[in-house]
Amino acid sequence: MDVEKPSNPPLTSCIDRIVLPGDTVLDLSTMANQTIKLGEGLRQDCDTISVMKAGKLRLSKPNKYWVESSHKRYVPCAEDTILGIVVDSKPDNFLVDIKGPTLALLPVLAFEGGTRRNIPKFEVGTLLYVRVVKANNSMNPELSCTDATGKAAEFGPLKDGYMFETSTGLARMLLGSPTCPILEALGKKLSFEIAIGLNGRVWVNASSPATIIVVSNAIMNSEFLSGTQQRIMVEKLMQKLQ
Amino acid sequence: MEVVRADGRTPNQLRPLACSRNLLHRAHGSARWSQGDTIVLAAVYGPKAGIRKGENPEKASIEVIWKPKTGQTGKAEKEYEMILKRTLQSICLLAVHPNTTTSIILQVVGDDGALLPCAINASCAALVDAGVPLKHLAVAICCGLTEGGYVVLDPTKSEEQKMRAFAYLVFPNSSHSVLPKAPSAVDEEPGIITSVTYGLMSESHYINCLGHGHAACAKISEFLRKSLQTQFPGDLSKGT
Repeated sequence: MDVEKPSNPPLTSCIDRIVLPGDTVLDLSTMANQTIKLGEGLRQDCDTISVMKAGKLRLSKPNKYWVESSHKRYVPCAEDTILGIVVDSKPDNFLVDIKGPTLALLPVLAFEGGTRRNIPKFEVGTLLYVRVVKANNSMNPELSCTDATGKAAEFGPLKDGYMFETSTGLARMLLGSPTCPILEALGKKLSFEIAIGLNGRVWVNASSPATIIVVSNAIMNSEFLSGTQQRIMVEKLMQKLQ
Repeated sequence: MEVVRADGRTPNQLRPLACSRNLLHRAHGSARWSQGDTIVLAAVYGPKAGIRKGENPEKASIEVIWKPKTGQTGKAEKEYEMILKRTLQSICLLAVHPNTTTSIILQVVGDDGALLPCAINASCAALVDAGVPLKHLAVAICCGLTEGGYVVLDPTKSEEQKMRAFAYLVFPNSSHSVLPKAPSAVDEEPGIITSVTYGLMSESHYINCLGHGHAACAKISEFLRKSLQTQFPGDLSKGT
């Protein structure tokens, strides 16, 4: 019986480990009669599931697998809420840039109470808070300024304020529940309005420009800090403000 | 007889490797790869909508721009661009984002031998940083054949000039798999993505180079895996 070379021991589970493109993470031949849902970063290769993007492999019981990673670009996914910038307007759609591989289309009627008579006029450069309705690889993604039931629900143009770009990982951390420590700490001392897009765009508005600057810089610097470090950073900033 | 190299390395020893990612602010993905004094900086932009004339709109297209350290771009740079484009096209999943263009720009920061393998390693790390979907990673190495017929890995520029022949070899990275390894897999030939040779070498020497190169690429693969592990910090939302 030959001794196996221990160069690549088969991993019994890659869940919660960093995986690289080319790693095979699931063997479907051992999992017959199960439905598995694949999220981003994974693809099916005949009888195995292999990784397309580097990141941490996650499992949400019972059957959802995905690779968590943080990038500067966004891959559109249905039911995501994002911030888009109007690039052009056509008779039927607005062309919106969402930091993805293609431009997205926002139908002119996708607003609450939208009819042919009250089509909104968005200039080029307008910032919109929208929801992704459909996203396929081969088509331009479709957006909407209403939620699934047809109500406006805070979607639409964002006026004033300041928008900055971050990575998708930071945006997900800001939107996590329970509330992420940085937003909680900032919210206790300052009052501001914030809109976070899963595509890595964040919009902040407050009554004074100084508050907007403090909040934006605090968020941009908090990406790689732990919870306690974020709280300490906010305390130091508040001391300097007084 | 053991070959004595100018910098004291053994024939199979590589120069110190260093890789850092996400250095450029505007680029969607960037990486700087250095092997000794050969340093290449790669920046990836994309995927962006739109495709150049003559490219297939059903697949993503890849555009490579090579910027030399000094001087204007000429035929040598065009050749490097073409080799890189073909190599990267074979590792990217082109059907995931059809009708898009991904641009990769390489800047040579230092050239001390084995420039093309360093550039391929840098562009692969930059593609991973940008989140471009890949089939697997590509790991490149330069194997040289000295006058005495010995295979020497990762030569410096002065060693390259004295060699009889050398080959740039690109292999897929060694991947982890949950599948049980079939007993016959150990004897399989290693797959090769790209091979560029300069000079005259016999077939047996070439096969020898392939063997040495494949073993060295396994080490570079391990290095790449370790360097990518440290760049993903732990889950922050769990609250520490």
